Amino acid sequence: MISAPYKVIGVLPTASDEEIAKAYRKMAKKYHPDVNHGAPEAAKRMSEINAAYEQIKSEKASRKSGGGYSGPTAYGGGSPFGQNGPFGGFGSYGNSQQRSAYSEFDTVRHYIRAGHYREALNVLDSIPTRSAEWYYCSAVANAGIGNKITALEHARRAVQMEPNNLEYQRVLQQIVNGGSAYQQQSQGYGIPIISMNKICIGLCLANLCCKICGG
Amino acid sequence: MFGYVVANMDKLTEEEKQQYRSCYCGLCKSLGNRHGAISRITLTYDMTFLVLFLSALYGKDTAPAKERCMIHPLKAHEYWQNEITDYAADMNVALTYYKFLDDWTDDRNILSLLEAKVFQEENKNIAVQYPDKCAAIRDCLDELSLIEKSGELNPDIPSNCFGELMGELFVLREDEYAQRLRTFGRSLGKFIYIMDACMDLKDDIEKEHYNPMVTTSSENFSTILNLLMADCTEKYKQLLISRDKDLIENILYSGIWTKYEAVKNKRKERQKQ
Repeated sequence: MISAPYKVIGVLPTASDEEIAKAYRKMAKKYHPDVNHGAPEAAKRMSEINAAYEQIKSEKASRKSGGGYSGPTAYGGGSPFGQNGPFGGFGSYGNSQQRSAYSEFDTVRHYIRAGHYREALNVLDSIPTRSAEWYYCSAVANAGIGNKITALEHARRAVQMEPNNLEYQRVLQQIVNGGSAYQQQSQGYGIPIISMNKICIGLCLANLCCKICGG
Repeated sequence: MFGYVVANMDKLTEEEKQQYRSCYCGLCKSLGNRHGAISRITLTYDMTFLVLFLSALYGKDTAPAKERCMIHPLKAHEYWQNEITDYAADMNVALTYYKFLDDWTDDRNILSLLEAKVFQEENKNIAVQYPDKCAAIRDCLDELSLIEKSGELNPDIPSNCFGELMGELFVLREDEYAQRLRTFGRSLGKFIYIMDACMDLKDDIEKEHYNPMVTTSSENFSTILNLLMADCTEKYKQLLISRDKDLIENILYSGIWTKYEAVKNKRKERQKQ
């Protein structure tokens, strides 16, 4: 948690959503690593800014409704993995930590094992502290509903926070490996080179028109 | 639309090239016939893929006819059309109309309003014929612009929304294929949206525009995009397409990366200078 997220972004707590988004983009223009050619100070600053922005947004959202953007497509569509979930041996915990008291994560893991990923995410949303375990469970549940980008990001964070946890490593590997068979087959074609004019010169004209119209 | 779903022409056989071109020309012709010459400027490769894909799945007629067209007055060329060509032409116009309308609402760009007006009359008929499709397009674009305006940092959220739209376009009718087509279209749309964001990231940062990939390190882009396309091809396999299989797979495994690779190359060259 960041103590003064508004200060990091450079806006007052009374600022509107739009003003906050604008201020964030101004900051990104200054510090984003892609426009700073890897200056380490800038990268560090950018991750602070990201954390602050996320915190402001989730605080605002929880005041309004419940966690983040809550429109109909907030959480993907349909489970691609069927009832058994993407990760075979999920939930075999207990070897690393002794658990005595009931934990919210028991509920989360229960939902995940049953393939109820959305319910698992709802419980995760209500847990304020984001531990390595939180990121790990979120990665599995997000993978379950097809939110692959969040799944990858959260699995990475879990491993970063607890590099020696084999279960976290295994899930990260599983997510990353999901793309490797495709990548191999894709590379077999070689790098595609633009040769649009081989299809129809009409398209070049069409594209030109679209550019002129700004479409 | 984005126009990223193209073939890698260098790896196609002569027959495949011909099939691809004829599909493209058929769609261009259908647009002109149904919605007037001006509508041809809206033609995209994404829609060509839709025609090719659905025609292969449903085993629709793709027997070529020959003609000379305005763009190639000297040489006769082949094209084919079927009911799916007409469907795609209609969807193409509807998409263009709602997109311009959306841009007008968002930015009050007068050009967008004028362009929306150009297609307004045409879209009236389409909205009567396909009320559900038009509602889905409009709702998804509206929701997407809300998400973008809110500055959402989770890339899954806007990309799922755009995927929803693509999913609906792939569902020709509610039949045994509908659900598989919908999930395939969703994953393809999701990929397209994210690839576009990856390519625009630097420009968007500099112009202070919204970009959903802003918190993701660009070193991870290739991993993410491969994950998404892997997911998309898994869903493609569920549809068991046999006709034009090599051509379709050329697009899904290779051609789809054409613009991305081109942008990457350009960046590298610029860095060298």
